[in-house]
Amino acid sequence: MKIKHILKNKNLTIGLVLFSFFALLVLLSFVITPYSYQEVFAENQLNLPFWKSGANPLFWLGTDDLGRDTLSRILIGSRFSIGIGLVSTVISIFVAASLGLISGYYKGRTDLIINQVMESLQALPSLLLALMVVVILGSGLFNTILSVTIVSLPAMYRLVRSAALIECSKDYVQASTALGASHTRIIFGHLLPNCYTPILVQSAVCFSEAVLNAAALGFLGLGVQAPYPEWGTMLSDAKNYIQQAPWLMTIPGICLLFLILSTQLISDGLRDQLDPKLRNR
Amino acid sequence: MNSLKVSILNKLVRILISFFFISLVSFMIIRLIPGDPVTHILGERGATEERMQELKKLYGLDQSLLKQFQIFVSQAAVGNFGESTVSHQSVMSEFKVLLPATIELAMLSLIWASVAGVLLGILAAVKRNSLWDYSAISISTIGFAMPIFWWALLCIFFFSVQLQWLPVSGRIGFEFEVPYVTGFFLIDSLLSENSWAAFLSALRHLILPAFVLGTIPLAMITRITRSAFIDVEKEDFIRTAKAKGLNQSQIIFKHVMKNAMPQILTTIGLSLGQLLTGAIITETLFSWPGIGRWLIKSIEARDYPVVQAGLFYSMLIIALTNVVVDAGIEKLNPRMRAAK
Repeated sequence: MKIKHILKNKNLTIGLVLFSFFALLVLLSFVITPYSYQEVFAENQLNLPFWKSGANPLFWLGTDDLGRDTLSRILIGSRFSIGIGLVSTVISIFVAASLGLISGYYKGRTDLIINQVMESLQALPSLLLALMVVVILGSGLFNTILSVTIVSLPAMYRLVRSAALIECSKDYVQASTALGASHTRIIFGHLLPNCYTPILVQSAVCFSEAVLNAAALGFLGLGVQAPYPEWGTMLSDAKNYIQQAPWLMTIPGICLLFLILSTQLISDGLRDQLDPKLRNR
Repeated sequence: MNSLKVSILNKLVRILISFFFISLVSFMIIRLIPGDPVTHILGERGATEERMQELKKLYGLDQSLLKQFQIFVSQAAVGNFGESTVSHQSVMSEFKVLLPATIELAMLSLIWASVAGVLLGILAAVKRNSLWDYSAISISTIGFAMPIFWWALLCIFFFSVQLQWLPVSGRIGFEFEVPYVTGFFLIDSLLSENSWAAFLSALRHLILPAFVLGTIPLAMITRITRSAFIDVEKEDFIRTAKAKGLNQSQIIFKHVMKNAMPQILTTIGLSLGQLLTGAIITETLFSWPGIGRWLIKSIEARDYPVVQAGLFYSMLIIALTNVVVDAGIEKLNPRMRAAK
């Protein structure tokens, strides 16, 4: 893919620009955060953000109900959302994509068993499944990652499996079997490179769902626990001040929306770019 | 047996296997959490050994795991999930009161999402690259990315706090006394005295949660309708219809609509399953006394019999909608039958 082609693709360009903004936030959070995310300024509770008159110049985005700096919390919070998304996507690619390839290549009983397990995971709506995992394992950062990852497995698996099934029926696979290539070589040397389009597109979708589900868990009080400033948790705190301090819910919400939007635009853009048959939909 | 029956049977067998898996999981939940349930019920201190044994016997925990699982499944199959450890009422009786609230909310959101979504999708497809098209695309893209809890907070803030048009929570105003007949407040309110005022109050309480809950299905339906229409418009028989001299509205409503419908109906049907089970966040935020809120409360209170029942309910709904949608689509679309 040349840069020229990427720039022509509006979805991909906008998505990448938005996403790099958030990546920049994460980098920035390691360099400068004005205050610590849990430092409490008792005399500066519910300070107004900069777009309101009467804002405190010390706190650009205002402070929350305990007097913690919103800007610092948003910056640190970006690490959680993007971190959870990245880790869960990577695990999902490794686990679900390899299972999909194995299932599509070996077919038969192996396929039947793996497929059934994945189908069972889909028997529940995604948020409920994530909730169940958290109920069994307990809340917290690690378990949040685990639960959003489990939720994202079936979709990735299905796409890769069906792509692998199609690839398997092609001549080059039979040719390499005839040449005596080992199973591992065919699966990872031949099938994998030919299935990278669905994997790439789905990993962007997977990222956005992981972020969304993690934030929903946080919002319900079962995800990343206080005092860590995960964006969903911040929104859950802000909802109690919807009358006195409605601005508290603006920034975490906008951040979440645009982060999810960016990855969805990337996945749409990638699909158009890599699969020309689907273009102009 | 014809192919339709075979495919439904096939589907049912797979669903049964899924059911077995999930009942195993929901059975294991109680056993997987740290500490055993008896200590959980009696508290850490003050439980004598005899009392513990007695309770274990009462809950059947003294038997082997396999036996326990067998009992659990056979009881669940007849709808007996035991009693809630919080309210000490039978889970089924609580469930029966809450279900109509969830159905009412889900139906209204589905109606608004499918009517608005299909219309917007058609407009976008017919007037491609117009303002309609761009706004339909933006709505569906943003709707997909919208975290529903933030969207709900925004709607509450604008419509309830700022404009004070609509109430924030509950199903009906406090001043109305509604007799429990069907459990659907839109119907029951009409049967109460002061019927119109009560009906309006119930409707006003429904609008905001239904609007919020319907947003994601709306985005999905708009997108699918648009792409289905665009696909069908490329087909040869549409060119033939144009050549025959049919006018635009005839082509759209008779030919394109008919062929795009299976795809649209699939999406609508599958969203119904999502709406009936996935209203956890919306119901919690609007204090809507339905299944989703009940489930999250029970999860917080570690009320496992209720959680198990909720899991069963959700699986059942998802499985049922899947089967019904599949069968319906095959019935509607002769080409799918031929493909088998």
